[in-house]
Amino acid sequence: MSETSEPSLFAALSDAVLNMDEDAARENAIRVIRERIDAYRAIEHGLVDGMNRAGQLFEDEEYFIPEILLCSDAMYAGLDILDPHIDRSRQRLRRKVVIGVVEGDTHDIGKNLVKTLLDAAGFEVVDLGRDIPPARIVDTAINEQADVIALSTLMTTTMDGMSEVIELLKAAGRRDALKVIVGGGPVSQAFADRIGADGYAPTAPAAVKLLQRLFEESAHA
Amino acid sequence: MPEQNRQERRDRLTPRQRLEAYGKGLPVDRLPCVPIVGNTAARVLGVKVSSLRNEGRVLSDAHLASYRRFGYDNIRIFTDLYTLAESMGARTRVPEDETAFLDEPAIGSISEIGSLRPSRPKKDRILSEHLEALKRVVQEVGDEVPVTAALTCPFTNASFLIGAVNLSRLVLKNPEAVHSLCRVSLESALAYADAIFEAGGTPSLTDAMSSSTVISPRQFQEFSFPYLKALVDHIHAKGRPATLHICGKTGPIWHRMADTGADCLSIDNDADLLAAKHEIGDRVRLMGNVHPSAIMLQGSPGDVREAVMQCILAAGDSPKGLVVASGCSLPIETPFENIDAMIDAVRDFGYPDDRSARFAEANTTVPENG
Repeated sequence: MSETSEPSLFAALSDAVLNMDEDAARENAIRVIRERIDAYRAIEHGLVDGMNRAGQLFEDEEYFIPEILLCSDAMYAGLDILDPHIDRSRQRLRRKVVIGVVEGDTHDIGKNLVKTLLDAAGFEVVDLGRDIPPARIVDTAINEQADVIALSTLMTTTMDGMSEVIELLKAAGRRDALKVIVGGGPVSQAFADRIGADGYAPTAPAAVKLLQRLFEESAHA
Repeated sequence: MPEQNRQERRDRLTPRQRLEAYGKGLPVDRLPCVPIVGNTAARVLGVKVSSLRNEGRVLSDAHLASYRRFGYDNIRIFTDLYTLAESMGARTRVPEDETAFLDEPAIGSISEIGSLRPSRPKKDRILSEHLEALKRVVQEVGDEVPVTAALTCPFTNASFLIGAVNLSRLVLKNPEAVHSLCRVSLESALAYADAIFEAGGTPSLTDAMSSSTVISPRQFQEFSFPYLKALVDHIHAKGRPATLHICGKTGPIWHRMADTGADCLSIDNDADLLAAKHEIGDRVRLMGNVHPSAIMLQGSPGDVREAVMQCILAAGDSPKGLVVASGCSLPIETPFENIDAMIDAVRDFGYPDDRSARFAEANTTVPENG
């Protein structure tokens, strides 16, 4: 458990994710536990780092959905091993995100990617799944005391459900208590502005950056 | 009913006459224009969206009403992407007044691939309703306007057979399984294409999952291209033109899309029409690309007009031509005045060179009814 092995082990975890290698992710995660290296740091500097690099390759159009899915499989393979070993008492307060695909739409590739990346970036994600009525999204967010509602759609026909979520939040007097972000093929920044969302992200990595930026801004406000 | 025949008041050519003259570089009254009306047709007829999918007669009435209401240059029989996969065992959900969606893929794992059978379109309840609608529309207006029926292409159909996430993993982990799914999908697509020909229409190829937003150009070449090419060849063998629509980003695969032999590429709003003109405008006709939701659904008629002008400025002079269109199917609740605004803008613009002026000159004896 020498200090010097840490960086190479983190790099190996990161590479395992980037190279879509589930076996390598597991093996290196087990080494982290054996060598009593901090699991949370291994997740952050290893698995999440690998996912961030994969996200960058996705933005650069070198990786596509199939690669990102296999990267996230490798990340979860490592995460399954490391997660029980996280020292939760030391962990900083995690922001909670309720995520779902609005009613009428059962496409969830995009939503799953956002969930994976948010999870990896340290957000606590409550995944409602797909085809979810606006009222259930809002009720869950309020009950879970979430900080964020993240909404996805791939179908133009279901976009109205997004503005309904915001209207329901307003009606419940909770609009200011939560950030609402939207994404998905037919959605645009203009649409996000029109329905009064806090932000729009065109890709999954952009959704993570958007939330990090929104919370940075509110911390400095 | 003054609204019903508005295109006759202002357009001098039928869509077929216009497209034929346009294809030969002859004088025309205006550029071809296709706001891609799908289930919006239910709103024109005043019926529930689900009745289009379930009843061929209603589907044809809706598209006839919509064509007569707006006067665009191509009728496309389309309710949703899932009809072909459904005929092979996928389950869809059909909300009463919204677009149908995939509920359950046909199979859960690759071990079941062998159980999949090609579609028999004329024996299938939904496909036969679509064919009936196609036949009726062709009988009614087929002599004046091209009538097409949407055909979901093999790679996209494969994603509905086994689920999009499963298929995406198989692309890297088990390419042969992907090909098996695409092959059986191609057989179904060819059978449906033949039934479409028999009904008097032309298949309109649509392949959402082949987008560069989803798979890489290399993966496109391996898993989409051979099957698309087979379909285009089949359409050409019948002497018909092939239009290919792929959603989302397509810039990296434009040349490959043109390599399929398709005559017209329908470009999504995520892609750049000007760049498309420069890259492939001399190989294929372009179609696009006003944003279906940001502009057509949510914009004002002024926004639509502006967007149409942007399209024409970008690619109105594309060597193989431009069809001004929405980037993808219109959302159901697209306001009628925005659809009118799209075609009116194209009418007002005329033609990027002097062809519409020459047309007007040659036709001054035709009485102006508007």
